[in-house]
Amino acid sequence: MLETINLTKKYEDGHLAVDHLSFKVEPGEIFCMFGANGAGKTTTINLFLNFIPPTEGTALIEGIDVTKEPLRSKDFVSFVSENVMLYGSFSAYQNLDYFTKLAGKRGLTKADYARALKSVGLQEDAFNTRSRNYSKGMRQKLGLAIAIIKDAPNILLDEPTSGLDPKSGQELLNLLVKMRDQGKSVFMSTHDIFRAKLIADRVGFMKKGRLVMLKTRKELEGEDLTELYIQYMEEREG
Amino acid sequence: MLKDIIKKEILETITSPKFVFTFLLCAVLILLSVYTGITTYRSEQKEYNAAVALNKKNLESQQSYQALAGLGPKINKPPHVLSTIASGVSEAVGRVASVNIAYDPNLVDSKYESNPVFSVFGALDLTFIVKIVLSLFAILFTYDAIVGEKERGTLKLTLSNRVPRDRLIMGKVVGGYISLLIPLIIPLILSMLILLVYPNVSLTGQDWGRLLLMFLMFFLYLSVFFTLGLLVSARTNKSSTSFLVLLFIWVVFVTIIPKVSVLAASQLNPIPSVHEITAKKDAFLQQVQGGAQKKVLDWVKENAPNAAKDQKKYQEDFKKFLEDYQNDLTSKIDENNAALERDYQARKTSQERLAINISRISPASALMFSTMSLARTGLDDHEQFLASIRAYKPSFTRWVNSRMMKSINFSTGEQGKVNLADMPLHKFEPESLSKSLARTLPDFGVMIVLIIIFFAGAYASFLKYDVR
Ligand SMILES: Nc1ncnc2c1ncn2[C@@H]1O[C@H](COP(=O)(O)OP(=O)(O)OP(=O)(O)O)[C@@H](O)[C@H]1O
Ligand SMILES: [Mg+2]
Repeated sequence: MLETINLTKKYEDGHLAVDHLSFKVEPGEIFCMFGANGAGKTTTINLFLNFIPPTEGTALIEGIDVTKEPLRSKDFVSFVSENVMLYGSFSAYQNLDYFTKLAGKRGLTKADYARALKSVGLQEDAFNTRSRNYSKGMRQKLGLAIAIIKDAPNILLDEPTSGLDPKSGQELLNLLVKMRDQGKSVFMSTHDIFRAKLIADRVGFMKKGRLVMLKTRKELEGEDLTELYIQYMEEREG
Repeated sequence: MLKDIIKKEILETITSPKFVFTFLLCAVLILLSVYTGITTYRSEQKEYNAAVALNKKNLESQQSYQALAGLGPKINKPPHVLSTIASGVSEAVGRVASVNIAYDPNLVDSKYESNPVFSVFGALDLTFIVKIVLSLFAILFTYDAIVGEKERGTLKLTLSNRVPRDRLIMGKVVGGYISLLIPLIIPLILSMLILLVYPNVSLTGQDWGRLLLMFLMFFLYLSVFFTLGLLVSARTNKSSTSFLVLLFIWVVFVTIIPKVSVLAASQLNPIPSVHEITAKKDAFLQQVQGGAQKKVLDWVKENAPNAAKDQKKYQEDFKKFLEDYQNDLTSKIDENNAALERDYQARKTSQERLAINISRISPASALMFSTMSLARTGLDDHEQFLASIRAYKPSFTRWVNSRMMKSINFSTGEQGKVNLADMPLHKFEPESLSKSLARTLPDFGVMIVLIIIFFAGAYASFLKYDVR
């Protein structure tokens, strides 16, 4: 489970990036967070991972306050970042192997790695080549494979579909659905309203650090999400 | 986990193109420099042996002690085997000194004098390669150690796992250091093997001790730049910034501080020029020689009446007078020269010390001074050698004067043949390892302090590093 309570981040320059944010992502739930550029989505994820200290409030992973027990909380979360370059001189296997070990998982075989890489749709001839020459989408897939193999009960994704071709994007969403069905809590920041609508159990709109709308799949039935988004973004501007 | 981080760090480095390049360049440069060092040493050894033999022959062929006194023995400085690793000032200072009754001996005829173009480039010895090339490699290996991982996003990914930061930085330090040492150690071991098996190049046990200490110094020196690289890498947000900052510090350490400190020392502690000293010595010599003729004439005038009485005794007395007087004069000249020289040397030494001590804040200078001392190719060794020659001069002049007087037959004016059997020989006891080591302790100290400061700085900075 992922939870924030009054989570607030004010940067050193006084910019309020996250403003009293409170939400929950239950096990077996996909939460999609939308918001314009600079709305505070990445900042929220950084707060979950304790990369920056919150100004106020708490972020909880599996009920663990991430500022109090940062190390322990990380056992329960996988992270897929927006644009990870990985280790260029390593192959997909080597990258996967290193991060698997960092995640504390031992005894996995090459077959396990191959299965994870296949499941994210990375072409097989790339498994053994240096990731330096991977395309952005290929790197994204490798990053996802790293998160999948960690097999943590919570997963944070920052714009995971950006840069993926339509088929890969669809495959990624299928994977997320699979994870949800395994009972994981999935939090994803995205701009991809179309596809997210297909899988989201709950949807949040963020604007200037605040959660301005929160709706369940049921509440969204029959609504045009794109319309709704534009409406919310414009509404409080003036 | 630490093991995994170290392993990854090493694997990542040694599979990168920069490693292959570094390794090859290191191997070529190190082996080349040791090889040229050895061949140079071998030819210097031959030259030295030839010069010693020639000098001996020259002395033996002198027709009279008078001629011998004027010519005197030439003392050649023997080459030192460790100059193959650190040539120090050995190429810039004189290698040969003439000891004769008139002049104060001085070492002249340096390699650079005979081949000035070399002085422009300096020696391509191992110390130079470590000082310039390998320190740059240390920077190349570390400038993006931390900031690079941030740029690639791998730092975030790593720290999204249960990885304590202190363990991560330790892993990076150990792994990074090992991968920096690999391209260094393999050629170094090879070059030691070359030294070991090369014919006619032999190192004593003490030489090996000195060599190992020099290698230790190399490692410390590279550690300074390695930890500095980490520190800067953990305090910047862009790898290009990190590289520029490091390059700037490198230039300051390697070229600016050593030069500025020599200038600063000569400003702070000026000394008279060599020419002034020589002029003073010459003036005294002339004054003494002018007085000498008169003194001899006076003696003859005074004792002339005795000549008629007892010719034989008169001749004996005259001989005795001349010998004593000659000895008296030379010792006066020697004393005066020695006093001038002592004063000059003391001031020069104190200026040098000042320059050395100022420049020691730069690890590059500390590296140079310590390896020179350890290889016995430094200024101290040069001064000690010169001092030994100056100490030898009086014993030679005393000997040659007494021979000269005894061999002259005053009635015939004939002079006896030269016999070198009991001529005193110049001896030089080079400094012991423990003394050299004591002199290099400040350099070791400087390095260790810098390493500790840089490492602690890198460590503390990384714990607070903004990984986003
Ligand atoms: N280190 C920082 N110092 C000051 N302000 C910052 C800092 N990092 C981010 N911000 C600001 O915080 C706000 C939120 O940034 P954030 O990256 O969380 O947005 P986002 O929702 O992820 O946007 P995008 O969709 O473009 O990824 C932005 O206005 C940004 O300028
Ligand atoms: Mg973002």
